[in-house]
Amino acid sequence: MSILDKNRIRNFSIIAHIDHGKSTLADRILELTETVSKREMQDQILDSLDLERERGITIKLNVVQLKYHAKDGQDYVFHLIDTPGHVDFTYEVSRSLAACDGAILVVDASQGIEAQTLANTYLALDNDLEILPVINKIDLPSADIERTKKEIEEVIGLDCTDAPCISAKTGQNVEDVLEGIVKYLPCPKGEAEKPLKALVFDSYYDSYRGVVVFICVKDGNVKVGDKIRFMQTGTVYEVTEVGVKTPNEVKKGSLSAGEVGYLCASIKSIQDIHIGDTITLNDNPCAEALPGYRKMNPMVYCGMYPTDNNKYNDLRDALQKLQLNDSSLTFEAESSKALGFGFRLGFLGLLHMEVVQERLEREYNLNLIATAPSVIYKVTMTDGSVKYIDNPSLMPDSNLIEFIEEPYVEASIMVPNEYMGSVMQLSQDKRGIYKDMIYIDTNRNQLVYDMPLSEIIFEYFDKLKSVSRGYASLDYTLTGYRKSNLVKMDILINGEVIDALSIIVHRDFAYKRGQAITVKLKEILPKQQFEIPIQAAIGNKVLARTNIKSLRKDVLAKCYGGDISRKKKLLEKQREGKKRMKAVGSVEIPQEAFMAVLALDDDGN
Amino acid sequence: MGINHLYIHVPFCKAICYYCDFCHRIYDEKLADKWLDRLSRETEENCRDQYETIYIGGGTPTSLSDKQLDRLLCMADPFTEKVIEYTIEVNPESLDQHKIGIMKKHGINRISMGLQTADDDLLRIIGRNHSFTDVKEKVNLLKDNGVFNISIDLMYSLPGQSMEMLQDTLNKVLELKVPHISLYSLTIEENSVFGKKGFSNLDEDMEADMYELIEKTLCERGYIHYEVSNYCLEGYESKHNLGYWNYDDFLGISLGASGKIGNNRYTNTRSFEKYINENSIREEDLHLNREEMMFENVMMSFRTIYGLNMNEFNGRYDADFLSEYSKAIKKHRDNLIIEDGQVRVRNMALLHPLLVDFMDCVLADSDK
Repeated sequence: MSILDKNRIRNFSIIAHIDHGKSTLADRILELTETVSKREMQDQILDSLDLERERGITIKLNVVQLKYHAKDGQDYVFHLIDTPGHVDFTYEVSRSLAACDGAILVVDASQGIEAQTLANTYLALDNDLEILPVINKIDLPSADIERTKKEIEEVIGLDCTDAPCISAKTGQNVEDVLEGIVKYLPCPKGEAEKPLKALVFDSYYDSYRGVVVFICVKDGNVKVGDKIRFMQTGTVYEVTEVGVKTPNEVKKGSLSAGEVGYLCASIKSIQDIHIGDTITLNDNPCAEALPGYRKMNPMVYCGMYPTDNNKYNDLRDALQKLQLNDSSLTFEAESSKALGFGFRLGFLGLLHMEVVQERLEREYNLNLIATAPSVIYKVTMTDGSVKYIDNPSLMPDSNLIEFIEEPYVEASIMVPNEYMGSVMQLSQDKRGIYKDMIYIDTNRNQLVYDMPLSEIIFEYFDKLKSVSRGYASLDYTLTGYRKSNLVKMDILINGEVIDALSIIVHRDFAYKRGQAITVKLKEILPKQQFEIPIQAAIGNKVLARTNIKSLRKDVLAKCYGGDISRKKKLLEKQREGKKRMKAVGSVEIPQEAFMAVLALDDDGN
Repeated sequence: MGINHLYIHVPFCKAICYYCDFCHRIYDEKLADKWLDRLSRETEENCRDQYETIYIGGGTPTSLSDKQLDRLLCMADPFTEKVIEYTIEVNPESLDQHKIGIMKKHGINRISMGLQTADDDLLRIIGRNHSFTDVKEKVNLLKDNGVFNISIDLMYSLPGQSMEMLQDTLNKVLELKVPHISLYSLTIEENSVFGKKGFSNLDEDMEADMYELIEKTLCERGYIHYEVSNYCLEGYESKHNLGYWNYDDFLGISLGASGKIGNNRYTNTRSFEKYINENSIREEDLHLNREEMMFENVMMSFRTIYGLNMNEFNGRYDADFLSEYSKAIKKHRDNLIIEDGQVRVRNMALLHPLLVDFMDCVLADSDK
């Protein structure tokens, strides 16, 4: 097959609500097209991060080239881009969609459409993609194919007459999906004869080859030896390697219009690479760059500090490398009285934050303390100036503040009728303002609330799952800032304000939160050789107080000749535990303590 | 230089106490004979010195038959010329006139008896098959035989034990008028019966209260709290155990026994099959580096009120104690007494947090 016959190329993503079976379908497709041999096959093969496998979720987009011999007798080349389903990673989804011409929308026949089904579909439509709906999990006893089709037709407006009905788990009818891709999804629109225009949609750092850039070639072609230019930064490099992922990286001579692959050019300077940038040829550039991506603003911020102060530079290097692979991550240096030097990181959500911390710790071997997450507050001062505060400890003195505004979102919650009452109650408790209720079918409705973002990220999502037994699904979009009666609450340990534990709370909830946090901290902080008071305070006013009793006895009862090894192991364990703590004054504070400010209410988990 | 201390482990018991995870089996005569055969070989191969202290522990050494006990002690006879302290552990229910006779014949001059608690109900809860009266009788029997150097083992923070119950036990034990008492707080071991039944340790504060009650009660009656868990009248410290705490070399023989000779620390297999049938019986055989030995020395020496002698320490490791550990010493200066070349820990109940910092000082480089 000629590599330039773009009519036989299909570039697509699989989009779905979390757990509707994206990664399983991708596994089946890889098997069916014999892209991966039986020997190499494993579950969630495109989820290459350990973390993804462990948690059973997709965090990173991943791309793979497949060859398919269709029933029309022709050979096709597919580029499948696997995407995350969680709301935090919508940005990853939008990036992968920009490299595609079509999308497979997977819907679980036992669940029907969910909040992210809608959100991801709208993203695909925004990118002008053709969408092929696929009804999955038809092997489940609770599957209702007809109802699911009807939902897709009525709520999304997609025709489901020819939608493949499959079980990705058992492999049933998966071939219909492959045929559907050939038949219903379009081929790439670009032209090989035009000057090179390629979209940079992902990258990572390889210590031998430098930055490896993932590209989707829209027009023209690129080969080893070409001088390429990154249009945003204007930097020029000579291509040293191009290839495709199958899913291992396989070198090729060139990539041309319609193809999706990777490129290396001995790029050592991480700053030169911007996701969404356009690559063109230096001596034959295209007229204009691709629109690229809308810059995603982080929704949640937290401080991250190495437990060992000497690892500050290691953390900075790790963040720079991680950012290459996770362009929605932002960071800048900050310092804390309690924690020393570190960084303030911006994330798309709490899961994103957890994932970044885990990746930093695992992939870069760092021990980190993360402070409680915060949204970004807009503070209007009495002199009329405006400050944006992403670190609660930096909130100005209350008598200098005219008013504080906080980010609000429009939250859409899909919920079965039987849980409507409890979801509405919960939303109200979390300062939600009811906006709308949209009928989906006889069993389900979509509730729409205006809600402070801080409430959503701190507790709402967990509680939503528990009050609806996991049946409610959530999606939200930022709508803007609103005035709120907010106040900074400090946490004092042993009489000292620990700046990294300060939070911004709504005044009406301050007392309750203060109680919950001090109780939680009491559980978490290890006893020391003296009594430690823990207080929650607004200004000088203490709202809650508890004491950690002093440690009185910590010694192994028996220690004779034969007990030395055992005792040493015990001490080594204590020593390991201490490494995960930060000495703040005379008190050792473990990692978890900084998350304790997210403490759930007593009626929570 | 020769080794001064010998430990012999008897891996049999009449019954398994619920708190125990140590290496032993229910006594079986034939197995015990085979074990003695193998031990005799091990003795011939390894014992080369005249020991100042010998300690026969277990398990329950008195669970052996009279004949077997005699045989065991005969094996040790050739190494007892210089012995000053010769201890055997006994259980009240298996100690009698015959066994006392055998012990005396071989020169045993110190008895360590397991009592655990004077509360008979509590004794049953922890799986012991004797009463306090049994203990009283056997202590008197020992004294009638001219054996006065007796140590009583007790446990506290037992399931369901109150402060009053502990006080009562202490009072009763004081009436026995023995010169040495060991008191161990119960630690629920994973592999013990308690561990398997899902018991958990008593509240930390209660345990500390008990620790303090013990110290107060016994010290008022003239006992010296000379080690974390050991009390004695003046001059009655366990010389054998002081050897461990001084980090001296010692030879340990038999199934499951440990020893330390120079920089070699070993532990024998806990498997009867392996012990009896194989030539190589080591389960762990470590060669410690200087830093590890230094730390272990500190860890052991800080357990007693005599503490660590800096001259001896500096000579042993060609080190300077004060500078090697300066960081930890500075941090814990309130809990350390440094005078006349000795370093002592003021509050031994809080030894671990202190040791963790000492560990950081010297071992920091070796684990990078």
